[in-house]
Amino acid sequence: MRRWIRTWGLFAFLLSASLILAFASRGSRAQEQPPSPLVTGTIQDSQDQPVEGATVQLGAEAEGEALAEAVTQSNGRYALPAPQDLPDNLFVQISRAHFEEDVVALSAADIQNLRNGESVVVGITTLPRRITPAFWIAALIFVAMLVLIATGTLHNTLAALLGASLVFFVSYLGEPLMEDLFIFGFDRALQYVDWNVIFLIMGMMIVIAVVERTGIFQWLAYMAYRLSGGRLWLLLPILMIVTGVASALLDNVTTMLLMTPITIQISLALGINPLALLMPEVMASNVVGISTLIGTPTNILIGSFADISFNDFLVNLTPGVVLAMIGLVLYSEFVYRKEILAPGKGEISPLLLEKLEERAQITQPGHLRKAAVVGTGMILLFVFGERIHLLPAVTAIMGATALLVWIRPDIEEMIEAVDWTTLVFFITLFIVVGGIQEVGLISLVATGIGDLVGENLILAMFVVTWFSAVLSTVIANIPFTAAMLPVVGYLTATIPGAGNKVLFYCLSVGSAMGGNGSLIGASANMVTAGIAERAGQPITYLYFIKKGFPALILTVALAMVWLLIRFLVLAG
Amino acid sequence: MKKILCATRGGEASIRTQDAVIAMAKKEGATIVFLYVVDVEFLRLTARGVRPDVVATELERMGEFLLAMAVERAAAQGVEADMIVRRGPLTQALEEVGQQLGADAVAFGRPAGVDSSFSLSDLEKLAARIEEDTGIETYIL
Repeated sequence: MRRWIRTWGLFAFLLSASLILAFASRGSRAQEQPPSPLVTGTIQDSQDQPVEGATVQLGAEAEGEALAEAVTQSNGRYALPAPQDLPDNLFVQISRAHFEEDVVALSAADIQNLRNGESVVVGITTLPRRITPAFWIAALIFVAMLVLIATGTLHNTLAALLGASLVFFVSYLGEPLMEDLFIFGFDRALQYVDWNVIFLIMGMMIVIAVVERTGIFQWLAYMAYRLSGGRLWLLLPILMIVTGVASALLDNVTTMLLMTPITIQISLALGINPLALLMPEVMASNVVGISTLIGTPTNILIGSFADISFNDFLVNLTPGVVLAMIGLVLYSEFVYRKEILAPGKGEISPLLLEKLEERAQITQPGHLRKAAVVGTGMILLFVFGERIHLLPAVTAIMGATALLVWIRPDIEEMIEAVDWTTLVFFITLFIVVGGIQEVGLISLVATGIGDLVGENLILAMFVVTWFSAVLSTVIANIPFTAAMLPVVGYLTATIPGAGNKVLFYCLSVGSAMGGNGSLIGASANMVTAGIAERAGQPITYLYFIKKGFPALILTVALAMVWLLIRFLVLAG
Repeated sequence: MKKILCATRGGEASIRTQDAVIAMAKKEGATIVFLYVVDVEFLRLTARGVRPDVVATELERMGEFLLAMAVERAAAQGVEADMIVRRGPLTQALEEVGQQLGADAVAFGRPAGVDSSFSLSDLEKLAARIEEDTGIETYIL
């Protein structure tokens, strides 16, 4: 009974979440008719981006009471209902934290129109940014969070949680001491949390939890060995492709956690250095992951922010990924040629072969079949769902729910399978990044990059791609990507020809493939090194840079070639 | 017959240790029990991806494979060997298994340069602690 209640309780929760997300995506249709003429307008910042949450007041006297008040919406628009008895002088006063105040006087003709019952459009008002102490504090908190994550001083989640808590601490306890310490309030902070991302990741975690115990990865790796017939030059690309495709459909970290142990066993059985297979595998995982929306956390962030669908990623990035993979395979064959071509390598002892065969069993065929059916359905919904405005998060939650109801696993085990720490990491990361966005740091960076590239789209593509690739080698690519999204959004809005979202694809390529540049560049690298070390095969920082950085340059350059062809040549 | 417990992983450094233990066992007419200890501490600082117990199970299988190689190596040199895989902290696993088996000696490999996860002084401390806690003789080979 208890189990039944829990199963259906989770089902009901997930279904409700799906419905909430589905309805939220459709937007509100109801519009109330204003009872009186309106004074309307739009507030934007100096980068022509709408300013949300600004207080707009209609007044007649400088110190007098406001005749009407409104708060700007997410599109920066406001609508003030004009009172019936209008004075001869009217002005619109705009104020918002982190911006200079502004006052717009209405003309006599405008006031007459209002008296005649006609609405008045004030137009666009640009509010200049104001650098306050909160700006420096928010920036410091963000940088400190990046440092704590990069140095491994604190767990990612703890670092982001600490950052978010400090933002609130300064906002709520600092504001009474000095108004300019206010960064943002809790309600505003929650608006920066992208729930599509959270629910999509949560849904995929449940699907992965079912797949991870089925033995499919071990079976695939063993089949790769069988298919290659022990020829190492062939085994290498097959394993890279298997790993890459699995990374695109699930995620890099999961794939490498499950592929690394079996790859080590195959390598040792064949008498070769496991790093000759592991390094190409993890690099392939970082490269191919970006071909789908769900392949990397950075793509999930980018897709949700820029409204780039599963299909868009597939169509616009896969050819570039294929090109990069061809380059990566050739590079790996060259770099590990001594291992691959050494005489006698590839022969396997009968005892070890028996052990490998033992390992390469599908342990839960029933679960695997069901996961395959549901997984196929999810892919179809990811591909065709955009036609009915079905959000990927809804598809993921529905798929996870279907799988749970069909398989009926131990529900407590499934709840444990959701990596809540990662979800908390994303929520608190969104808050910290929201903090620097709120105080104007992102705008400042965006303006700087905008000034650097001017209206040159090709230069912008190069800057975004290589800047993200190089920075992703030293700082965690998830917070970096989250911070770069509004910057790229600004560049997309301001550079002629960038409306096709090409710069978001550049960010996707740079932030994911940049992970190949160093051991700390991607979580998949870290877990691979962790497991390899436990097999007595340490992957050092220096070793990774030596093998990975040239691969970064090669793969990013090849992907860049495709982006230039796709968006500049083929797009006409 | 004397019993030597040898904690090992894989890799070149471990193979050197295994060879040294095999030679020692041969000389003293002892049997060897190779031990692989699973710990998933490295997951602490990264995105989890997969449940730690699933990773631990995979590492156990990998450990069994690595130990099978060591056992095969010992057999090829005419030394009888067995293997055990355990989860948990290394010191605790070594002490527990050593006592359960009634091992006469515990052996581990000398750190293999800067890439090793242990320093020589760490190993010496570990050896001293095991000797103190269990009375089993320890060797750093």
